[in-house]
Amino acid sequence: MADDAEPKESPEGEDTEEDGPIEVVLFKSNSCAFCPRAEEVLRETLTDFGGGFFVLKVINVSENPEAAEEFGIFALPTTMIGGVSVTGIPEPDMIMKMILGAKVSSKRGASK
Amino acid sequence: MSDFVIERVKTGIPGLDELIEGGFPRGDTILIAGRAGTGKSIMANQFLYKGATEYDEPGVLVTLEESPLLIKRNMMRFGMDLDALVKEKKLAIVDLSPSKEVTPMKIGEYPSFDLSGLEAIILNHVKKLGAKRVVIDTLAILAYKFRSRDILREEFFKLAASITRAGTTLILTSEIPAHHDGLGVFDIEAFLASGVIVLYNEMISETSRSRSIEILKLRGSKHSSRIHSMRITDEGIRVWPAEISSGA
Repeated sequence: MADDAEPKESPEGEDTEEDGPIEVVLFKSNSCAFCPRAEEVLRETLTDFGGGFFVLKVINVSENPEAAEEFGIFALPTTMIGGVSVTGIPEPDMIMKMILGAKVSSKRGASK
Repeated sequence: MSDFVIERVKTGIPGLDELIEGGFPRGDTILIAGRAGTGKSIMANQFLYKGATEYDEPGVLVTLEESPLLIKRNMMRFGMDLDALVKEKKLAIVDLSPSKEVTPMKIGEYPSFDLSGLEAIILNHVKKLGAKRVVIDTLAILAYKFRSRDILREEFFKLAASITRAGTTLILTSEIPAHHDGLGVFDIEAFLASGVIVLYNEMISETSRSRSIEILKLRGSKHSSRIHSMRITDEGIRVWPAEISSGA
C-alpha cells in the first residue's frame, strides 16, 4: 500500500491543539513481514475509535531511512503516538492507551 | 582477484595485523568482546578512523550507547578527529544512543518485529559514502532495549549478512558482563562473527592492571593463539606481537 503522507515536521515537543486530530505514525519497511498486519490493526482500530480524530502517517523506512534515523527507530513495525512508541504488531488496547495518553498530554499542554 | 583468495583489510591497529596474516578478511564480521573499560570502542573507532585516513575506506559508525559528542571527544584524545572525517564525508555517525532527545519512549513491545529499520539506516549510509567499514557499538545495549532476545539473535544474523554481502567489513563490539563466562549477553556472539577478538584489562597486582589481547578465532586465517600485550597510548591502541602477556 502506498504511503498516506510524507512525514512532516517532527511532532515532538509540539502540543497538539486541544481538539485537533491526534497524529499516529507507523514506521514500516518493504521487507518487514509483520508490518502489513500492524498497519491493518492500526487502521481498523482507528476507524473503530472514530476516524476523524486521527491522522495516520505511514513512514516507509526502506524509502525514507532518514526519518527513522531522526527518531532513533530501527525495530519495525513501530507505532508512535505523542512521544511514546510501541514495537511489534500492536494490540488495540495498547493503541487506545497511547491515544488517551496523547490526549491527556495535549490537554495539559493547552491549559498551560 | 579470485573469489577464493582472502583479501585482507588493514586494521589500523599497530601490531595487530602481524597476528592475523595482514588484516581482517574483507567482508567478514568481527566481534570485539571484553569487559567494561578494556578498549573495545577505541579499537573499533580507530579501525574506522585509520580506514578513512590511511586506506581510503570510508566508514559508518552506529552508536547505540555513547553519544556522538562523547565519542568524538574521546577519540580526539588520540589525535583522531572524527568530526573532520564526517565533514569530508569519509565517516557517517548514526546516533541511535539513548541521549537522542527526539526518540519516543518505548512503552510496549510485542514479539513480532525485525531490525529491517536498522538495516535500511545503515545501508543508506554505506551507499551514500561508498563505505567499506561498518562498526556497531555495542550489541549489548540491544539486550536492554528489547525483551525478545530470540528475535534479536535471528535478526543479528540477517543484519550482519546484509551489511557484509557487498564486501563491507563489519565490526561488532560486545560487552562481557561481570561474572559472565560467555562473550556477551546474547550468548551467540561467537557464532555470529567469523572472527572474535577479546580484550582484557586484568589486575596483576594490588596496584596495577595489564592490558592484553587474544585472537580467539579468525576463520580462514592462521592467527596467534597467544595472549599479547596491548596498550592504550597517546596515538590510540597498539599491540606488541612479540610480548606475551601474563595478565589475562
